[in-house]
Amino acid sequence: MNLADVAVVGVGVTPQAKRSDRGSLQVALDAAKLALADAGLRHTDVDGIAARWPGPGGTMLAPGSADWSTLLGVPLGWIGDSYPQGVPALVDAAGAILTGQATTVLITGGQAGVLGGGRVAAYTRPGNEFVEPYGAFTAAHFALVAQRHLARFPHAREGMAEIAATIRNVGAANPEAVMHGRGPYTAADVLAAPPVVAPFTLLDLCLASEGGAALVVTTLERARDLPHHPVVLLGAGMEWLRQQYVDPARYEQVWTIGAAAAAKAFGQAGLGPSDVDVAELYDVNSLEVARQFEALGFCGAGEGTDFARAVGIGPEGKLPTCTDGGLLSFSHIGWGAPTLKLAQAVRRLRAGADVALAAGAGSGAQYYNLALLGRAR
Amino acid sequence: MTDLTAEFWAAASRRELVRPVCRDCGRNFFTPQVACPRCLSENWCYRPSSGRGRVYSATVVHKAATPGVAVPFRLGIVDLDEGWSMLARLVGGPDERLPALDAPVRVAWLDEGGRVLPAFTEVVA
Repeated sequence: MNLADVAVVGVGVTPQAKRSDRGSLQVALDAAKLALADAGLRHTDVDGIAARWPGPGGTMLAPGSADWSTLLGVPLGWIGDSYPQGVPALVDAAGAILTGQATTVLITGGQAGVLGGGRVAAYTRPGNEFVEPYGAFTAAHFALVAQRHLARFPHAREGMAEIAATIRNVGAANPEAVMHGRGPYTAADVLAAPPVVAPFTLLDLCLASEGGAALVVTTLERARDLPHHPVVLLGAGMEWLRQQYVDPARYEQVWTIGAAAAAKAFGQAGLGPSDVDVAELYDVNSLEVARQFEALGFCGAGEGTDFARAVGIGPEGKLPTCTDGGLLSFSHIGWGAPTLKLAQAVRRLRAGADVALAAGAGSGAQYYNLALLGRAR
Repeated sequence: MTDLTAEFWAAASRRELVRPVCRDCGRNFFTPQVACPRCLSENWCYRPSSGRGRVYSATVVHKAATPGVAVPFRLGIVDLDEGWSMLARLVGGPDERLPALDAPVRVAWLDEGGRVLPAFTEVVA
């Protein structure tokens, strides 16, 4: 078997909300059920699972941890403690399938009942002694990267605002988005929104919301017998530069993070950036979208915002990007958010696109990963 | 605070900035790690820093991620003259402005609830 013999056959996205009254384990289970139903499979068909949180297979010994084989009522042939979800979990699942450890893998995760009361998710502000006393948090780390980029390419600020408005307007029109009905926005609205951390305003930055997301992955051979047109894994790549949000990200090191991963993924797929029909980029902020166009080889250095404007990243554009409204408007559910990117890519491929790109994390996080998915021939 | 970092904070309480230096290869590094990130030697020690450097990047935080943090405040990455860098608050300086990239700074000290934290102030040439 090859990479392209691995197929995504089920996607499950629970209702997404600013705050949920359910727990993280519940939404992970909700998402799993939705993904299995979408795949036309039963939970007893699952023989492998990648669910970072709550710990799969009882690997997390803390009280309240989930033992997924007990929960599903089936013995498992393989478990993966994938960090984070999304592409790394899909690569883990593919590895399990290609090495014969499992035939049908469930990827599930998300967060619920953890936000609110002025808190942001704990992973965004590590309790590190060289970070926490200074009040740093995720968006501030990305801002310290952005400030150096904008010093080189000041024109990018206007383009960032256009990107944020375009993606948010997709979410405003999507009934399933957390920010449905919020908008439409113009670039001027984005620039005039309350500042959070320079250069970002509230509308440049992604949400912190709650919900679950899941995928079912199996062999292409098996996928041929299931309800949806199979979506296969064409290529993937990952880069891990440094632990996130402790030692601050340095612009010159992180601006092109993803370039090596993209070269690997495109090489595996035998494709290039111009072959991508849909780009589910990781839009933690408006500038990251432009950065990914540069790093992944869609355009040259400093050209990301101009590229986005020229190609058209909205629904009518040549390269629809973050087509559910993205992390900016659809939802951002912590470790489960990267799975939302894959789920949306699968939906677009089922609807007729040939090649979709899905990605996770970015410059300020100091790691990046992407996958190329294709409509099976 | 850990065994690796106790000496850093003890020096900070005396308003002295120190950083790890590898005794084997001479590498300056930060944050403190078990081993030197260049040669993997565990044979490193803290040495005094001049506390002088330049702003690598700087931003203004208008909305804090946690309750109880006063805003706005300035946050930056400072490259110290000895060849290491750290995240820190930027305080004082001319008109309390956000320093430009590469602006010279020197260490200052913040006493926050009995804990002394390094910070940096823009130096006017």
